Amino acid sequence: MNPHGPRPPVAGLAHVTKTFNGHDHRTTAVRDVSFEAFAGELILLLGPSGSGKTTLLTLIAGLSRPTAGTVSLFGRDIERFSAKELQRLRAEKIGFIFQTFLLIDSLTARENIEAVLRFNGTGRSARRAKATALLRRLQIEYLAGRFPRTMSQGEKQRIAVARAMANDAELIIADEPTGSLETKQGLGIIRILHTLAKEGNKCVIVASHDLRLAEFTDRVIRLEDGRMTS
Amino acid sequence: MDMYAVRTLRSQPLRLALTIGGVSLCIVLMFFLLAVYRGVADGSVEYIRRNKADLWVLQRNATNILRGSSLVSAAQGERISRVPGVKTAAPVLFLLSTIRKREKVGTIFLTGYEPESGLGGPPQLVQGRAVQTDEDIVLDRSFAEKFRFKVGDPVDLQGFRLQVVGISRGTNAFVIQYAFVTLRFARALIGFPGLATCYLVQIDKGTPAAAVQEKVRLALPGLEVYDHRTFLDNNIREMKSGFLPLLYTVAAIGAVVLTVILSLLLSVNILERRKDFAVFKTLGSPLGFLWGLVIKQALLIASASSVAALAVFFPLVRLIEKLAPEVSAKSSLGQIIGIVLVVALMSLLSSLISIQRLRRIYFLEVFA
Repeated sequence: MNPHGPRPPVAGLAHVTKTFNGHDHRTTAVRDVSFEAFAGELILLLGPSGSGKTTLLTLIAGLSRPTAGTVSLFGRDIERFSAKELQRLRAEKIGFIFQTFLLIDSLTARENIEAVLRFNGTGRSARRAKATALLRRLQIEYLAGRFPRTMSQGEKQRIAVARAMANDAELIIADEPTGSLETKQGLGIIRILHTLAKEGNKCVIVASHDLRLAEFTDRVIRLEDGRMTS
Repeated sequence: MDMYAVRTLRSQPLRLALTIGGVSLCIVLMFFLLAVYRGVADGSVEYIRRNKADLWVLQRNATNILRGSSLVSAAQGERISRVPGVKTAAPVLFLLSTIRKREKVGTIFLTGYEPESGLGGPPQLVQGRAVQTDEDIVLDRSFAEKFRFKVGDPVDLQGFRLQVVGISRGTNAFVIQYAFVTLRFARALIGFPGLATCYLVQIDKGTPAAAVQEKVRLALPGLEVYDHRTFLDNNIREMKSGFLPLLYTVAAIGAVVLTVILSLLLSVNILERRKDFAVFKTLGSPLGFLWGLVIKQALLIASASSVAALAVFFPLVRLIEKLAPEVSAKSSLGQIIGIVLVVALMSLLSSLISIQRLRRIYFLEVFA
């Protein structure tokens, strides 16, 4: 029974396993994981380091392909997407937030946000207007012309969130988004993500080992040694 | 976003400066070689090009005067002058000779001609006058500069004392320069009074050159008769076959070095910024955008290097011409545009080589 009604899931995993072949060994990072993520949901993938959270995120984002099982995005099996289609999907429908922010040092805050819009084909003036609006919305307009090296960790993460929101992504994937932040800043970021899910009707999937984030999420998927434990 | 290419290059100013310096030197090398080629090409055949002869008559199988020998006797010359339609048949004798000035010895392409007809004499005088007596000599300008001769100076030529009466231009064949004396003096120098290298023929006005050429050929089957255009082309071809391959080889090496330097810089830049490229890929950047960044960087460096090369080139040529006057370099706008286009092409090739690195940058690197 689907509690979300007739809507298709934004992302769906069915019996997904991911194995990496090393030089002389094989490592199974994700084992038989199944779940669905819907619009308006904030899901926490919770587990210790090495539990397979990040691998799961890359599978959900279509950045890697499962060894077994199926991953579907927006109702379509990712095996049926071409590389070009997956690239366009990321540019148009998926937003990313990384643990270490990964802002481009050579670009200003505004340009970092505009980059995503460029990838989805937004025109120059529309890019600028959108980036300005996002900076205003997150109350960080003053950072527009500054380079990442001049920003605090919290400011960088806000720019990273703005970048993830730039393309009006239906699916936002955040890998340890609070990992490099102090508690207060981390909570600020998770509140923004919560608002995005609830008010923006986005599907937000957060990977973290921080149990404190659980209270802000709709669902917690616990991982241990690549397996779902709840 | 558009500034990414510029800013990443500027973030390593020393490396950027060294790269631009290296690429500029390669471009200067190409500019210089082409300019020297033009200078040599023009200088080597300028004497022939400006000559007023309608026909050139040489010994059988001789095709040029740059790298060939020819001997024509006075009797043959006499017969040429009797061919109907021939107005003047003037003998010219070319010899390799040496001029001594204190300890310095220079080789010249000594050209003996008849001062009365002027045919075969210096094509253009920049100082003084043409030779009139057997004691006169006209020197090429670059030779005169190199040996610091001026009009009025005495010249020691194989034991004879001559006086510089004029300085000519269009007579620098790069490896050797022309000098002009009377035919009588040149013949006396080798001890064969009736000998010439070739005869320069002027034909009667209104007479078709081809018809006279054919008549001379029929009258003197042992000689070669060339019209002016053909003889000029023969000499140009000869000059090219001896000189061009060397220039092309060195210029090609310059272009390869340029490509290698650029490829190295672009590859290092990609590897240093691999996290940026991985982020771009993950965020959905089309491959064309990433290629565009690399190509933009290559073209930026090529442009900056071309400007730097142009800034250096002209003063450098002036300096070289001062230090080595026999080096004659000629540049044209077409040449410069051509080389800049080649540089742009090589920079595109460099970026295509470097772009291969992008294939080995993976999405998963952003999650590391």
